[in-house]
Amino acid sequence: MKVLVWAEHDNAALKDATLSAVTAGGQLGEVTLLVAGAACAAVADAGAKVAGVSAVLLADDAVYGAGLAENVAPLVAGIMGEFDAFVAPATTTGKNIAPRVAALLDVMQISDILTVEGPKSFTRPIYAGNAIATVESSDAKLVITARATGFAKAAREGGSASVSPVSGSGDAGLSSFVSAQVAVSERPELTSAKVVVSGGRALKDAQTFADTLYPLADRLNAAVGASRAAVDAGFVPNDYQVGQTGKIVAPEVYIAVGISGAIQHLAGMKDSKTIIAINKDPDAPIMQVADLALTADLFTAVPELVSKLA
Amino acid sequence: MQTYTAPLRDMRFALNELHQDDGFGHLKAHEEFGPELMDAVLEEAARLCQQVLLPINRSGDEEGCHFEQGPDGTSVRTPEGFREAYRQFAEGGWTSLVAPAEWGGQGLPEALGKMVEEMVCATNVSFSLYPGLTSGALAALTAYASDELKQTWLPKMVSGQWSGSMCLTEAHCGTDLGMLRTKAVPAGNGGYKLTGAKIFISAGEHDLTENIVHLVLARLPDAPKGVKGISLFLVPKFLLDDDGNPATRNGVWCTAIEHKTGIKASATCAMQFEDAMGWLVGEPNRGLEAMFTMMNAERVGVGIQGLGIGEAAYQSAVWYAKDRIQGRSLAGAKYPDREADPIIVHPDVRRMLMTMRAYNEGCRGVSAWISRALDAEKHAEDAETREKAADFVALMTPVVKALFTDLGFESASLAVQVYGGHGYIRESGVEQYLRDARISMIYEGTNGIQALDLVGRKMSAHMGRYLRGFFHPVSNFIEANAGDEQLAPFIAGLKRAFEALQGSTSMIAQRGLKDPEEAGAAATDYLRQLGLTAMAYCFAKSVKVAMTQLSQGSDEAEFYGAKIHTARFFFDRILPQTASCYLAIKAGKGSMMALDDAAF
Amino acid sequence: MKVLVGVKRVIDYNVRPRVKADGSGVDLANVKMSMNPFDEIAVEEAVRLKEKGVASEIVVVSVGPAKAVDTLRTALAMGADRGILVQTDEPVEPLAVAKLFHAIAQEEAPGLVILGKQAIDDDSNQTGQMLAALWGRGQGTFASAVAIEGDAVTVTREVDGGLETLKLSLPAVVTTDLRLNEPRFASLPNIMKARSKPVATKAPADFGVDITPRLKTLSVAEPAPRKAGVKVESVDALVEKLKELGVA
Repeated sequence: MKVLVWAEHDNAALKDATLSAVTAGGQLGEVTLLVAGAACAAVADAGAKVAGVSAVLLADDAVYGAGLAENVAPLVAGIMGEFDAFVAPATTTGKNIAPRVAALLDVMQISDILTVEGPKSFTRPIYAGNAIATVESSDAKLVITARATGFAKAAREGGSASVSPVSGSGDAGLSSFVSAQVAVSERPELTSAKVVVSGGRALKDAQTFADTLYPLADRLNAAVGASRAAVDAGFVPNDYQVGQTGKIVAPEVYIAVGISGAIQHLAGMKDSKTIIAINKDPDAPIMQVADLALTADLFTAVPELVSKLA
Repeated sequence: MQTYTAPLRDMRFALNELHQDDGFGHLKAHEEFGPELMDAVLEEAARLCQQVLLPINRSGDEEGCHFEQGPDGTSVRTPEGFREAYRQFAEGGWTSLVAPAEWGGQGLPEALGKMVEEMVCATNVSFSLYPGLTSGALAALTAYASDELKQTWLPKMVSGQWSGSMCLTEAHCGTDLGMLRTKAVPAGNGGYKLTGAKIFISAGEHDLTENIVHLVLARLPDAPKGVKGISLFLVPKFLLDDDGNPATRNGVWCTAIEHKTGIKASATCAMQFEDAMGWLVGEPNRGLEAMFTMMNAERVGVGIQGLGIGEAAYQSAVWYAKDRIQGRSLAGAKYPDREADPIIVHPDVRRMLMTMRAYNEGCRGVSAWISRALDAEKHAEDAETREKAADFVALMTPVVKALFTDLGFESASLAVQVYGGHGYIRESGVEQYLRDARISMIYEGTNGIQALDLVGRKMSAHMGRYLRGFFHPVSNFIEANAGDEQLAPFIAGLKRAFEALQGSTSMIAQRGLKDPEEAGAAATDYLRQLGLTAMAYCFAKSVKVAMTQLSQGSDEAEFYGAKIHTARFFFDRILPQTASCYLAIKAGKGSMMALDDAAF
Repeated sequence: MKVLVGVKRVIDYNVRPRVKADGSGVDLANVKMSMNPFDEIAVEEAVRLKEKGVASEIVVVSVGPAKAVDTLRTALAMGADRGILVQTDEPVEPLAVAKLFHAIAQEEAPGLVILGKQAIDDDSNQTGQMLAALWGRGQGTFASAVAIEGDAVTVTREVDGGLETLKLSLPAVVTTDLRLNEPRFASLPNIMKARSKPVATKAPADFGVDITPRLKTLSVAEPAPRKAGVKVESVDALVEKLKELGVA
C-alpha cells in the first residue's frame, strides 16, 4: 500500500506530531511524506532523514505557507491519484485538512485512530474515549487522522529519502491568512512534552496558578496544562486546556495538581504513561486513576516539592 | 455534595400517566399544550435550575443577605449571583408560567407549574421565595383588586420586573391576625396612608427588582375588632410617575433582617410603614378573605418546597452512598476489587434511601393530583367539575402543606444521617437542606394550624362533602381492582389503611362534636394518616399503570420496575404508620391534657 | 443574509455512555438525549448574528430519526426561524451528512453555514470541512470568534499553538469551538412560539443522496481500565519516585 503522510511544520521545523503519523502510515505500507508550505525546504530535508520515510514530496509555494485547507486539500487530493492512503496527525491542522481531502476523494475519513488492526481496519475512540470502536473501511482509498498517543514517534534520524518537488492548482481564492497569536513559551509544547504539569480550579486565580505551578514546571522542564474549569475561570488561555474538548496528551509523566478529574478531563490525559495526582481530597476521581497519589494541600506540597527538586 | 438532576421521567409519569382517570377531565383550555411542549418546558426549566440556581445555593447560604444603611435609607443586598440568576429567571419568562395570558403570562397549567416549582425549590429554596411571594400576591390581586389596580400593577409583576410580598405578621400576632394594629387612614385621594410595623416579611426588601409591591393587612379607622376588621392594601416600595414607572420612594422601609436557622439567602425583613401610600384591595374589612386566597396558593407552594428539598436530599444522599466506601456488605464483599464496599450495600442505608425515595415519589403523585384539581377549578367547563375540584383543593391544601414539609424535613435529616459525621459539617452541603427545610413546617400557618384547618374546617364543611371527594375515588379504586391478582397486595394494604382512616374520621367527628379539644388532640395524627393514605392510593395507581406497561412489553422496564419496588417498600415499611396514627387518635386527649399548666 | 445551522441529537453530555454487552455499540435505549453541545453554540452564534441585524433568517437542519424534531424545536426555541428534518433511522456518517447539507445549501443559498466542530457521540470532527469541500467554499473550523464584514467573514480559530485568524469570502462554513459563546437558555415564551414555527420533513432520497455507510463498525468495547495506583505518603517519597522515573 502506498501511503501519503502529511508533514506538520511551521515552515522551519518538522513537528513531532509528524513522527507519530509516519509510524501509523508505516503500519499500512510505504510512506511518502508530503511537505507543503512556503520556503520550507529545510523541513523537507528533515523529513527525508526520518526513519521509515521512503520519499518526500515538497510543495513549496507561497499559497501553502499558512496551511489554508482551501489551497492544500486540492493539492493533496491531486497527489492521492497515486496513493492508497492519506495519513495526517490528529492535530488541529490535520483535523482541518484531512476531511476536506476525504470529501474531494468521496471517501469517509477515519478520525483519531489509535491502532491499525488490518489493511482497512482501525480502532478509534468514540464518546469521549468512553468506548473504543473497531471500524473497517469499504472505500477504495483511506483518509486517516492518527492520534499521537497511539503511535510511537519515528526516529528523526536513519532515513535517507529523496526529495522531489510537486505542485498543485495554486490559490483557490476562498480564504486568506490574517494573523496568528502563537502562545510564546519557553516551555515545551503541551502535546509533545515529556512531562506535563496541569492545574485545576483549586489554584484560585491566574496569579496563584502561575506562582504555584510554573516553578514546578520549570524544575521538571515540563509543559503546563489546565482543566477546563481553570481555563473557563480565566487562569490560563484556551490552548492550555487538556480534555475531551481541548488537547489530548500522553506524556511520560502527567502531574495533576488540584484537579478533581472530571471525565472530560480524564479523556484528555488518561493515556499518559505515569499519572501523578496531588489533591486534598483522597476520594477525588483523579486519585483513582493516578499511578501515584499524594493526598495533601497543594499550597504546601507543591512549594515543598519544588524546593526538594532543587 | 449537593447534587441534583431533575427527576424528569417521574415528573412526566405523574403528569401524563398517573391521574388520567381522576375525574378532573381533559381541559379544553389546555388542549394546545401537548406533551412535547410540556417536555420542552420541563427540560429547559431543569437546565436553568441545575445550571443557574444550584451553583448559588450553598454560596448563598454561606453569604446570606446583607442589610445596608446608606445615605438614602436602608436596603437589602442579596448574596452574590442572585441578581444575575433572577434576571435570567425573569427574562426567561419563568415568573409568568401559570399567570393568565391577559396579564402577559403564559397561561400554562398549574400541573406543569408545580413541577417547575419543585425543581426551583430543590435547587435553591431561598431563591424560590422571591418569585414565590410574587405569585401569592398575584393570586390575591387577580381575584380581588379593581381593574385599575390590576392594569397598573399586574403586567410588571407577571413579567418579574416587579416582585411582591405579603405583610401580615406583626410582632405580637402571627397566627391570630385579629390582634393586628397597623392602621390605614384615608388620604383623601382615593388612597390610604398606612402606619405600623410588620415582621417576618419574606422578600420585603431586596435588590432583585426595581419595585416591590407589598400586600399589607391593616385596620381602617372605623373597623370592627378582630378578624372582621382587617382590610388588605397594596403598598408599593416606589410610587409610580405618570408613565407608570417607579419614581417616588414610598414610606415603607426595611428596619432589619432576621438572622435565621436556614433560607439565609432569602431576605426576611422587619418592615416599617410611616404614612405609606396604599390602595384598598377588595372590600373594606374583607381583607382576611383576600389574604386566604394568597395563603392557600402559598400553602401548596410551601408543600412543594418540602418535596423539592426532599428530592435534593435524596439525590445527594444516593451520590454519597455510592461514593463512600466503608466496611463490607453483611453478605460478603460486593465490590471485592475495592478497598471496601460503598455504603449503599448496607440494609440500614437502603432503609434510609428507600424511605426518602418513597416519600418523594408518593408526594409527587399527590402533588400532581392536587395540581390537576387547581387547573380544573379554574378551567373546567362545567360548574360541577369546578366545584368538585375546588372541594378537593380545599381539603388537600393543608395536607400537602404539612405532610410534604414534614416528610421533606425527615428526608433532609435522613440525608445527613447517610453522610454520618460528614453530613453534620457544612462542607458536605446536606445540613443546609435540614436547616432550609425546617422553616417550611412553620410559615404560612404552622403544621399544627394546618392540622386544625383539616379537622376543624375541612372535615366538617358541607357535611363532609370535601372528604367524600377524596374517599370516593379511593373506595372506587379498591372496588374496581378487587379481583386483580397481581395488584392484590397493594389493594389489601390500601383497603386496610383506608378503613382505619374512615375509623379515625368517625371517631373525630363524634368526639369532636362534643369536645373540640378532642379534635385538636387528634389533628396532627389525622393529617398524617390521611396524607399517607393519599400517597398509598397514588402508589397503588402507579403500580397498576406500571404493571400494564410491563405486560405490554414497555421498553422502559427499568423505570416501571423500580416504581413497583418503591411502591412495595412504601406499603411494607411506611404505610403501617397509619395504624399507629389510628391508635394514637383512638387514645384521645386524656393523657395529653391531664397535667396542670403549672406542672410544666 | 440567511444562516444555515446544523444540529444533531446525541446522548446528553452528562450521561456516561455504556457499551452494550454484545459489543455492537453503545446502549442508547432510554438514555437522555440532547442537542450536541457544539451545535448549541452554533445556534447561539446564529441567533446573535440575527440580533445584530447581520442574519435575516436562521434555518436549522437535523439529519436523524423522527425524535430529532425535538432537537430542532430546541433550536427554534433559542431563536431559529424554521427547521428541516432529514429523517432517517439509519446511521448516517459525516460524509453523507455533508452531502445532504450541500444539497440543502444549494436550495437555500445561505450566506453562512455554522456547524458544531464535532458531535460528542462519534467524535468525528469532519462534517463542516467536508461540506466546505463539496460546496467549494472556505472553511473556518474550531472558531472562537466570528465577525461578518461585508462579503467576508473573519474567523478566529483555536489551533494547537494558540489562535489563528482567517478571512473567508462568503458564503462560507464555520465550525464552532467551545469558547465561541455561551448558549442562552430558551425563554418560556420562545419555547411556546417554537411549536408553531415551520419544520419541513424530508428524506435523504429527496436530495438524491446515498447514505449507505462507508465504514463498518466491527465491534465496540470499553477502554482498558488503568491499573490502580499507589498512595504516596509524603513529598519526599514523591521526589524519589520522580527520580526513579528519570524526570527529576
